Amino acid sequence: MDNNILYSGFYKLLGITGEPGALAMTVAALLAIVVVLVAVLLHVAYATYFERKVIGHMQMRLGPMRVGWHGLLQPFADGLKLFFKEDIFPAGCYKTVFRLAPIYSLFAALSSLAVIPFFGTFYIANINVGILYIFAISGVGTYGIIMAGWSSNSKYAFLGGMRSAAQLISYEVAMGLSLVGVMIMSGSLNLIEIVEAQQTHWYGMYLIPQFLGFFVFAVSAFAETNRTPFCLPEAESELVAGYFAEYSGMRFSLFFLAEYTAMIIMSSMSVICFFGGWTLPPFLTDAIPALNMVPGVVWFAGKVYFHIFVFYWVRATLPRYRYDYLMRLGWKVLIPLALVNIVVTSIIKYLA
Amino acid sequence: MMTLQHFVNRVLLIDIIKGMALTLKTMFRHAVTRQYPTEVRDPIPSFRGRHAFVRDSKTGKEKCIMCMKCSQVCPSQCIHIEKGKNEEGKMCLAKFEIEAMRCIFCGYCVEVCPVCALVLTEEFHYSAYTREEILFTREKLLSNWDEFSKKWKSDTYFNKFWRPDGIETARMTKAKRELQPIQLRAAEPAPAPASEAAPSAPDAATQAPKPDPEEKEKV
Repeated sequence: MDNNILYSGFYKLLGITGEPGALAMTVAALLAIVVVLVAVLLHVAYATYFERKVIGHMQMRLGPMRVGWHGLLQPFADGLKLFFKEDIFPAGCYKTVFRLAPIYSLFAALSSLAVIPFFGTFYIANINVGILYIFAISGVGTYGIIMAGWSSNSKYAFLGGMRSAAQLISYEVAMGLSLVGVMIMSGSLNLIEIVEAQQTHWYGMYLIPQFLGFFVFAVSAFAETNRTPFCLPEAESELVAGYFAEYSGMRFSLFFLAEYTAMIIMSSMSVICFFGGWTLPPFLTDAIPALNMVPGVVWFAGKVYFHIFVFYWVRATLPRYRYDYLMRLGWKVLIPLALVNIVVTSIIKYLA
Repeated sequence: MMTLQHFVNRVLLIDIIKGMALTLKTMFRHAVTRQYPTEVRDPIPSFRGRHAFVRDSKTGKEKCIMCMKCSQVCPSQCIHIEKGKNEEGKMCLAKFEIEAMRCIFCGYCVEVCPVCALVLTEEFHYSAYTREEILFTREKLLSNWDEFSKKWKSDTYFNKFWRPDGIETARMTKAKRELQPIQLRAAEPAPAPASEAAPSAPDAATQAPKPDPEEKEKV
């Protein structure tokens, strides 16, 4: 953790020199969590605004315009409204589980942030199995959705929860397999090492050799985050709002936060594994050395924003898939494609 | 049997890419939204809005002759008329009420009125907090007309439904056949010649029309 500017910055702030004690390390870790959390939650707030603007303009509307200049304060108005809304428990719901579900969902979404390296020296934890950790945590997130669907005592919520369970489990397989190609090429599960391994190639992005893997990953990412065209768990036009149909006020907003955080995490994963994270391709930086002066977080954030924009762009364009098509696509197309990708990548790696 | 073309299209997601290109192109086009409270569009001529009695410039009152045709033709039966007698013992209008809450704005009452007394004006901002405010009595209908004629942009007014299309003019009443556009502003000299030919009195000509556009914007 020596080169992590978050921690070293806090040690300097707390006036600690030399080896920090256990207490200092805990305090520094908590401060780092607060910094990352605040940054991400602000991004989530403005992701909702960005979504409404992008989709609005794609449908030749304006999106929010009233709160602040061009509606810039809209996320805070929405948050304030949700905060003061009545908290309703549906008749016959299982109260304990009903209370736990949104917390569980948000917890799962936020804990993935711990291992995301925003740039080389800016992260909360640097663990050797970063990819596995993120998969494990996103699998845990499913429980929050199932708990919400089951405890609400409503058929819409229940159907949403069941659909979500089936969908997330099937697509997690495809997603995991799609990243195996990246693991083979970089020889590591550590997210920082994956980014650094991409720098050893002239193209600097695994997107180019792993285009098949990226395609599978991208489609699965849409399914994992329950976004259109795979938004069957929430399916506004069929299931009202799916698993969180019975939630209101603050609990609803926790689900909302979890969903958008998951979107940011999936975008970050895609940026780290396929787009070279906070780095630029070496052929670009060789051509224009001035680009090296720009801090890496700019590139990272720019790439994440682009991914989020694509999420919205797809939502504004495509209709929802039918459920059996969704399953067929997952098991019969994406998983075989990912397996082909693994075989081809390993053969090339072995020969090279 | 899937042709090669179809197969290639499906594998390369050609149709999805086309759709995405379309939405991206649309994103950079101008939005069609009008931001209502700040950008109020002008009503379309002959829009059927708030009810009014045309104020007769000779008598200063409504033109209604109590023929009851409007209350008979009204599909939602929201027009109530009572006849009475004035001090001289002559027949006069005792009560005339339109319940705007029940009105469906079909405009039949305007079409049927033999003397063109009633009109559905182009005014549409008249929501209210109480029912009484939009229960239009005789006095309210007249004041509706005054408010409307003040706002109306041109000097004359003629409602399309006074002489509806598709009915032979020979079958209409004399008043309907001969109705001229109603002069709203007091017989001012027509604005065009006044501004051209009156350098001697520029104040009267230029100042008079000025308050008007400001009023319109406020409303």
